[in-house]
Amino acid sequence: MSRTGAWIARTLLVFLGATRALAGTLSVQASLADHAPFAGAVVTVRGEAGHAPAAPISTILDQINLTFVPDIIVVPVGSTVEFPNSDSVSHQIYSFSPAKRFQLPLYHGKPYPPVHFDQAGVVTLGCNIHDRMVGYIVVTDAAYFGRTDAGGNWSVTNVPRGTYHVSLWHPLLRDSVASLEREVSITGDESATSTVQLAQPLRPAPLQATARSKDAY
Amino acid sequence: MKALPACIALSTLCAAVPGSAWSTDWELSADMRLVDSDGQRSLFDGGLGTLRYDSEHDGVQVGRLRAALTQPLGDVWALKLDASYFGQDDAHPVSVTEAFLEYRPYPLDGWRTRVRIGAFYPPVSLEDTAAGWSSPYTLSNSALNSWIGEEIRTIGIEGKLEWLGTRLGHDFDFGATAGVFGWNDPAGVVVATGGFSLNDFQTPLFGYVGGRGSQVFPENELFHEIDGHAGYYVGAEARYLDRVTLLALHYDNRADPSAETSNGIYAWDTHFNSAGLRVDTAGGWTAIIQWMAGTTSVEPDGEYAAWPFYARFALISRQWGRNTLSARYDIFGVDSSAEYNFGDEDGHAWTVAYIFNQSAHWRFALEWLHVTSEVASRAVLLNEPTFARENQTQLSVRYTIGSDRPY
Repeated sequence: MSRTGAWIARTLLVFLGATRALAGTLSVQASLADHAPFAGAVVTVRGEAGHAPAAPISTILDQINLTFVPDIIVVPVGSTVEFPNSDSVSHQIYSFSPAKRFQLPLYHGKPYPPVHFDQAGVVTLGCNIHDRMVGYIVVTDAAYFGRTDAGGNWSVTNVPRGTYHVSLWHPLLRDSVASLEREVSITGDESATSTVQLAQPLRPAPLQATARSKDAY
Repeated sequence: MKALPACIALSTLCAAVPGSAWSTDWELSADMRLVDSDGQRSLFDGGLGTLRYDSEHDGVQVGRLRAALTQPLGDVWALKLDASYFGQDDAHPVSVTEAFLEYRPYPLDGWRTRVRIGAFYPPVSLEDTAAGWSSPYTLSNSALNSWIGEEIRTIGIEGKLEWLGTRLGHDFDFGATAGVFGWNDPAGVVVATGGFSLNDFQTPLFGYVGGRGSQVFPENELFHEIDGHAGYYVGAEARYLDRVTLLALHYDNRADPSAETSNGIYAWDTHFNSAGLRVDTAGGWTAIIQWMAGTTSVEPDGEYAAWPFYARFALISRQWGRNTLSARYDIFGVDSSAEYNFGDEDGHAWTVAYIFNQSAHWRFALEWLHVTSEVASRAVLLNEPTFARENQTQLSVRYTIGSDRPY
């Protein structure tokens, strides 16, 4: 190996080492009251003051077979969401949640401008025609967010050194959100894991039956 | 002339419809039956049997031909029409069972309001949750709800206020309903004369029970205002998530029992209380129990007679895939204070039904119904034995098309 090659290799190693020392992996392991994995929980990770929230996005929340698809989305503050309505019937989407109150009549094939979500909080969606329809938009000012996998796990890499507040939310949660908050410190290149276990069982999930299944099909 | 304000209101609303943005929802269905019955002459053929089809009227029969329409009028108003032909010989050409304007504003801060104006069913039934006030569990309604379909209709206005707790992170929703109505003074004549029966017939607004000129109900037009007194009902509903529903209603048509029309249609003072509980589970099980008790009375020429009545049922049903299997037990009775115990009844019934929803268009159903009843009027009016054991087996094939059922 030439001297130059060795220098480059050494520099690269130092550089990589330094990067690793500045950022780590933050993991969340969520379980239900009976120790089973808590799948689908919304995880938000907020840094100390000064950490910027995630950048706004544009996304879609569809209406298919009288259900919201997906039933839960998480978007950063300032994001826009489109409601295309893939059903052949009309919907009247509404929210009376403080984070975003809106009313949106949706006809098949008639596009409406996206809705802008500019305030953090959980927005519960309903349909004024089909009472069973329910969906959620979690609008967050967190730097990192996501949902736990089937094993109840979620992680984010490349998290800069610092202290973080990890929160968990789910529409069927009976535990208070505050009781599930954890503080996690990323000190170096090792990963930090926050474990959260619910104290109370979840509410029973809504029945899958659509209006149609009670009727002819 | 009474219809004039409604017409003006309707045309004002129609004028307010913005463009043609709102599409009309419609549905047409044909339900044909293959019936085997050993029943006594039925209510619909001038008799006092408890089944819809008697032994003289089995084989291939029309179950129901239905047309329904929902016409949105702007964002929050809609006109709903439901018309059906049940195979009656003398059906009115406009066999409308329900026709009303609905006002559905968007919920605000967890509160939802609903207003209905026109002709519709009061919130009694926990089993008739499918389109056209039909049951997704059985072909024949319970005795309780068969009676509602025969005699009861709100022709008036109803308001409902709901607190949507589950949308605010709570486990419960609550609702309160109040209605004011007219044009239902004769309600009570059927239950007082012939007692309860088990069927899926619904008396059309301009139609009759038991056919025109029936021997047992000579004057059987039910939707008349006779005494000028408005009736009312108040109801309450509580729901635990989407698993448990509790429904209660107090109903009183406030008819003057001494009032009658010039052609002999009496006003029957009918009031009842009804309560029901419905449980749905994640495994596809549904259980319903419903209870009703009330009294109807008339006082023609100062001769007062009263008929306290009750009906109860318990239904258990399991849905898996496109299959629904249900069983129901009904018990019902009328306790007459009239001469010869006219109208006295004691009865109970077993129903077992299997429904296969093959597609959005085809539904197949098989139902067996057994009723045991003792009806005093059978001897008084028809000179028939008061006691009857009746069996009816129905195979139903229904085909549906509609704006919501694309190929």
